[in-house]
Amino acid sequence: MEALFYIFSIIAIFSALMVILVKNPLTSALYIILCFFALAGFYILLNMQFLAAMQILVYAGAIIVLIVLVIMLLNLAKAKDTIRDFHQMAVGIIAVLLLFAEVILYLNAAGESKPTGIYTNAVINKIGNTQIIGQFLFTKYVFPFEVASILLLVAVIGAYIFAKK
Amino acid sequence: MNVNVNDYLAVASIIFCIGALGVLIRKNLITIFLSLELMFNAANLGFVAVSEYLNLMSGDIFVIFIMVVAAAEAAILLGIAIAFYREKGTINIDKANELRM
Repeated sequence: MEALFYIFSIIAIFSALMVILVKNPLTSALYIILCFFALAGFYILLNMQFLAAMQILVYAGAIIVLIVLVIMLLNLAKAKDTIRDFHQMAVGIIAVLLLFAEVILYLNAAGESKPTGIYTNAVINKIGNTQIIGQFLFTKYVFPFEVASILLLVAVIGAYIFAKK
Repeated sequence: MNVNVNDYLAVASIIFCIGALGVLIRKNLITIFLSLELMFNAANLGFVAVSEYLNLMSGDIFVIFIMVVAAAEAAILLGIAIAFYREKGTINIDKANELRM
């Protein structure tokens, strides 16, 4: 398990770096698919197989395919941004280093907290991963579930209005 | 050496910072959008790790709603990208200097 964790971390961090470092947007899209597969591996290690499947189906299968479609529709694979603004890059790197330092300080300062819920891995495996998520979605979280459907409808209409000539 | 929740949070924070760096230093609209997706996914990993550690299910449900929002955002942003490209002939965000398209 530990070996798998380290392998997935190395793949995820390397591919995330390559996403922002390569010049071709199509290559970035392919590297982000690799990153999503590594994250799906994390979800399986965390005993959430349903989320791993959704990660691959929804992110790698739907969103990235949409992005690749737009890259090819607009013929952007040749549109490399070779002009690098060094001032912007310096400010960005300093800001991100500060953010990372703050996050690491926060993680180090966090105290231990006891698990409070009842859904241990044994309980989740006994009931079933997908079934327990479905039960939550249709009982406790049924209102956000309906709002999500309205949100998707609004997104479809909005995308049509924006892309329409 | 056992893997605990802090290791997952460290990986999630590294990926989040890489995504933030991409948003800040790149000028290509598509690459900025991919960096945003990286940040979404880092947040998802944090949610799932903490939810597994605390034996709760709320984080996992939250991840599903984040995926819904990310899909909606992808559709909207790609519509904007098509409209922007039609207007300017490029997707360099430095060219986005007018409120009116």
